[in-house]
Formats: sequence, C-alpha cells, structure tokens
Amino acid sequence: MLCLAGAFMLSLLIVARIFAERASHNTEHVRKRLVPVLLGGDANVDRVFGLELRVATRLTLELAEFTRGTDQVELLAVADALGVPGFLHKRSRSRTAQKRLTAIEALALFDNYTDVVEYALNDTNPHVRLGAALALSARSDAPDLSELVRKLRIGEVENSLLLVSLMSDVAERDPSSVRALLTDASLPAAAKVAAVDALADSGYTHAPLLAEIAANPSGDPELQARVFRALGRTGHPGSAHVIEAGLANKDWRIRAAAAEATGQIALRRFADQLGGLLSDDHWSVRFRAGEALLRLGEPGAAVMRRAAAGSEALASRAATILLAEKAAS
Amino acid sequence: MGGAAEAIALIVIVTGLTQTAFYLVQLVYAAIALGTRPPVPRSATLWHRYSEQAPAISVLAPAFNEELSIVQSVRSLLALQYPDFEVIVINDGSNDGTLAKLVESFGLRKVERYVGEAVESAPVRGFYASRDNPRLLVVDKENGGKADALNAGINCSRTPLFCAIDADSILEADALLRVVRPFIDEPQLTIAAGGTIRIANGCKVDAGRISEINLPTNFLALVQIVEYLRAFLMARLALGKMQALLVISGAFGLFDRQRVVEVGGYSHATVGEDMELVIKLHRHMRDLGLAYRVEFIAEPVCWTECPDNVRVLSRQRARWQRGSLECFAKHKDMALNPRYGRIGMIGFGQILLVDVIGPLVEVLGYLLVPLLWGLGLLALPWLLAFLAVTFTLGIFVSMATLVLEEIQLRRLTKARELAVLALIAVVENFGYRQLCNFWRLQGWWQFIRKQQGWGTMTRKGFQTN
Repeated sequence: MLCLAGAFMLSLLIVARIFAERASHNTEHVRKRLVPVLLGGDANVDRVFGLELRVATRLTLELAEFTRGTDQVELLAVADALGVPGFLHKRSRSRTAQKRLTAIEALALFDNYTDVVEYALNDTNPHVRLGAALALSARSDAPDLSELVRKLRIGEVENSLLLVSLMSDVAERDPSSVRALLTDASLPAAAKVAAVDALADSGYTHAPLLAEIAANPSGDPELQARVFRALGRTGHPGSAHVIEAGLANKDWRIRAAAAEATGQIALRRFADQLGGLLSDDHWSVRFRAGEALLRLGEPGAAVMRRAAAGSEALASRAATILLAEKAAS
Repeated sequence: MGGAAEAIALIVIVTGLTQTAFYLVQLVYAAIALGTRPPVPRSATLWHRYSEQAPAISVLAPAFNEELSIVQSVRSLLALQYPDFEVIVINDGSNDGTLAKLVESFGLRKVERYVGEAVESAPVRGFYASRDNPRLLVVDKENGGKADALNAGINCSRTPLFCAIDADSILEADALLRVVRPFIDEPQLTIAAGGTIRIANGCKVDAGRISEINLPTNFLALVQIVEYLRAFLMARLALGKMQALLVISGAFGLFDRQRVVEVGGYSHATVGEDMELVIKLHRHMRDLGLAYRVEFIAEPVCWTECPDNVRVLSRQRARWQRGSLECFAKHKDMALNPRYGRIGMIGFGQILLVDVIGPLVEVLGYLLVPLLWGLGLLALPWLLAFLAVTFTLGIFVSMATLVLEEIQLRRLTKARELAVLALIAVVENFGYRQLCNFWRLQGWWQFIRKQQGWGTMTRKGFQTN
C-alpha cells in the first residue's frame, strides 16, 4: 500500500514536471522579450500579467543586482510601470518564508514600499526579519537600533555575523545608538561584539570606548579576542595600554589578537614584547607576533633578525621563516 | 525446530522493521528540515550579503597520483565564488607527475611557509606558491594517506575555517557561499557543516565546471545516484535536523579549525577518518559541556565520480563498512550512552542498527528464511512478511526520497530522469541490494582481520567537452 502511494505520488510529480518543462520554453521566450524592455529605460510601457509579470519580477531582481545609480533608477521605473512592486507586495504575504524574504528585499528597492518592508520586521521567520532590517538600513530607513534589537531579538534568537553589516549601516548615520548598546547591561556579550565590530569599521572616533570594552573581559575569550581585533582595525594608538595588557593575557587567543592589533596600529614601542611572543607556546601567537613585527617596519624587522640569529629555537624558527616569507612576497 | 525457525524469522523481520521505522522517521525529519530551511537566496544575493562578513576559508585538497586531473581541479577551485579563501593542495607523496604538473601549470616556485604542528602529519618536503596565484599554496609531503594529508593542510591553514574536499571532485562555484551559512547564522555554535555529494558520471565537464547534467547510462552509477539521494537528502538531512549527524563526507565538509585541532585532527588508523573526526568533535564538545551544532546543508553541491564497475565498487563498499565498524568499535562507550544524549542514542543507534547488525541479519534472512520455508519449518506468512520488509518498504523509502527531491530541490533536469530513477529505485532491490550486503559482509571480515589500507580506486576522469 505504502509502495503504491509512493509510486502514485511520484507519477503525479513526473506528469507535473512534463508540463513544467513545456512551460519553461514559454518562460524563456518571455524573458528574451522582457530583458530589452527592462533595460530600455522607457517607463512608458503597459502593465503585464500572469507569466509575464512573474518573469518581469524575477528579471528585475536579477538585473537590479548588476545595476547601480541612474541605470538602476531607470530599471526600477520600468519595473514599476510593468506592475512588479504590486506583485512583490502580494508575495510578501506568502506562506513560504523564502518567497517573503525575496519579496521584502526587492520591495526595499522601490521608494513607496518602505512601510511594507518595515512591517516585515515583525515576521515570524528570523531570516525574513533580518533581511528586512538589512534592506532598510542599507537605504538608511531603518528604525531606531533599540527597536531593531527588540524586534530581531538580537543576542537571543539572532546572532548572525550579518548583524555587523546591519550595525555598520546604522553606525554611519547614528553612531551614538550603536555606542549605547555597549552600555546596555541586559544585552548579551555576543550582540555587543557585533556593535564593537561595527564601530571599529567606522574608524578612529570610537577607539577609546572600544579600548574600555577590551579592558573589561566579557568572560568569553573568543569574544574578547574579537574585541581586540576590532581595536586593531580602528588604528588608534590611544588604546596602547589595553593592547599591552592583552599581549600578556593568559589566554592565547587574546595574546594572538592583541599581537595582531599591535601590528595594525603600528605600535612600534611594543616590538620587544612582540619579540618575546615569538617563543610563545602557541603557534598562532608566534605567527601573529611575527606578522605584526613585520608590519612595524625597521624596528620590527630588527627584532625579527635578532630572534632569527638567537638561541631560542621556537623564536628563531618563527623569525627565520617569516622573514623568508616576507622577502619572497 | 519450528519454534527456532520462527525465532530466526522474527529476529530478521523485527530488525528489518526497526530499520524501516527509523528510515520513516528520517523521512519525516528530512521533509521538516527541507520545509523549514532558511530561505535560499541566489548566489549573487548571497555574495552581496556575505561579502563583508564571510569568515576566511582554507580549501584543503589532498592529492595522490592525480596528474591527469589535478590542473583542471585546481583551476576550478581557484574560480570558486567566495570573498576570502585560499586553496591548499597537499601532494601526498605522489609517485607520478602531480607536483610537476602543478608547478608547470601555475608557475610555482619553492617558498618558505611558517606552519604549526598542531596535528600529526608526515614530514613536509616543501611549499610551492606563485605571485600570479596568491590564493594557491601547494604542500609537498611524504606519503601518509588522506587523513595525514588533511592534517598537513590543517597545519598550513591560517584561517578560522577549513573546507576538506577530494582533489578529484568538483565543487559548484557557489558551494562555499552556501555551506558557510550556519557559520554566519550561528558563529558561536557551529563547529562543522557538510554539503551534498552528487554523482558526476554522465555529466559533461567544461573548464572544471559541470556544464551539462545528465544521468549516466551505466546501471551501477544509476543505482548509486538513488543511494546518494537516500544518504544525503534523507539520512544526513534528517540526522542534521535531529542534531545527531555523525558523518560529514570527506569529499566536502567545512570545519572550525580550532575545534578540529583540539581533537587532534584526522585519525590515521582508520579508513573512516571523516566519520571519526565528527564523532571526536561531538565527544569533545559534550565532554566540555559546551553548546554546539553540526549541520548538514542540502543546497551546496560537490560533484564526484562514482565507481562504475563491480570490482571497484565492491572494494569501496567493503571499505566504507570497515570504516563504520572501526569508528563504532573505537567509540563504543558512546553507543546508547545517555551521557552523550542524542549522539549516543540516535547517532550511534543508527550505526548499530544499519551498519553493525544490519548486513549480518539481512544476509541471514536471505539464506535462512526461504530455506526454512522450503523445508516446511516456517509458514507462508513469515516468508511474505520477510519479503515485504525487505523489498516493498525499501522501494517505498527510495520513492519517498525521490518525491522529496522533486518537491523541494528539483535538481534533476528532466522528467525522464525522474522516471528512470523511479524505475531504478524498484530494480535495485532485486540483486543489487543483496550484492551490497555481501560486500558489506566482506567489510565485516576485513574489520575482524584488522585489515588496513584503502585499496585502489581507479577513476576514469570526468567527461569533458
């Protein structure tokens, strides 16, 4: 009985596939006709329906990925005239999360649908919520960060690395709201680290605050190391004292991250400390220390040469090989 | 005498029914996993979304005597779509021209590379790189086997994640972008993720890419397509959903490098090194009491060539069986041990049922049930029950997997291919399935005799344009 049910179901699907194969020829024909229309820049076109509308929608999404500036504006104007946003709006209420997400991300391209995209921040699916938030923040229409934190349940349900992109977009126009997250005691450390990364990417200005965060361990060495790497990306020498402490941290991950930051900020006065780390027990620390020394210019290279000629086997090997690597690159 | 015969038949039937029940549960979980999987964007969208945050990946490709295909494979790897990756080819002491081909084709020269010794591997003879291909590093080392080569690759990698692949397989261009998803979604929890392996026999390959997907004409290759669908689309997807996945294929898996280093990398003394690594990771994380996830993602695809003759296929199946038994024996304390939660109960339960006792009991059934019925020691309903368990339920599971594939993924390009595979799902139960069980018994025998080594896998190479 089970076998017959399986065979019956499969037969139905095979028949459905045969019809779908025939339909795909029509689709291809419609695509060929619509591509020049969409790229033509003439918004004086008639609305399309059914298969044509579905194809026009798909094409709009594909072409929007490859166009920017006026080209994209013209493309979206034609798509609007063809009725694409209306179709996407309908799809944004689909029962399939995948369809909702695609529709929401695409609707964010059109100026008149921001409220629909904002409404998707309440979606039941976390991927749709995050997609909506990213789309809104990319066009600087995202609501307050505190509202995003609440709606996306950042740190509880949402831990994606894409939060860094989201917060970076927010930090560009409202850095104080991202900074405020760092002092929110109720927010999990993982969410704070995303904020730290975002602030680091926006440069020099936030380095003192990041240094303060780095100086106060979260309890998770992995996250703490990420804070040190973020600190390195700011390039701000004001955090030297925190980095110096990081170089002597008992956790190897933090020592390695602090060494990396030392090189990025070019803290030449720590060349000797880095030289000491060339004989660290952990390979990653030795490697990052050597890499950092090579970024320090002549003072670092001098420490490397001394270590290479020295009697400390681990340090000598690390320095010799990394110098050779540098020379060959 | 009749009582003993009925007891034997009962054992065979109950084992078969339990296996089928487990498969049915897996089907349900696989359907749920596919139905509730996160949205699957187009690769251009993924690139746009991940370009800034995607963690760097080292792609580790161990190669042994691959001079015919290595250049094409490496070109295909270098063309992968991923924001930040390096390709590390490990020449595992090849005695053909693998290294020379690489050096010549990519303009490589000997370089120095500062590498760690975090995991055990045979001595490295040298490193080769080129300014023209900064993403490529070739490691030339003494022969030590696949696990040893991967360990050398782990030592050389400087990225937080590494992707282990077979050098003779073909990763789809967006495979890394897709398989990295759990590491983006749950960066603190995810320690490993596997993708789908599909069979490339019959497909056309152009410049290291699958340019035309076709079904093979060889019967053995066709049957293996149905088997791979069952293994990946049903079993691994379901076990991933249950968080009880014990195998990530050696042909395509993405791992947190640090966690792998903590468990000592790949083990040398087993032919099931891919399975053993995942088991070691589970054990390690559970012993540490840390939350973690091992995921299976259906969308990223790695294409591989499967054996299309009985001699090579039999060796492969015996080796797989031996690998499972070696892993089970090595970690038997985890089996059905509540301390290891669903890994001990479900993951190891599956190995026990399907790999350890499965082939023994099924072959016993083939031999004894018809014989006992013929001798008049068993009534007809026993024989019918045995046949129902063996054949009809097997056919149903395969059909249902094809239904899942068609509804959710639709990777078969033509309706005719679906019909052919439906036919194969029926035919494989008569002859091929029994042959497979015989090969698995050979694997059992090799395991008992503590036989080592991989045997030779003869490859024909992909059909190129």
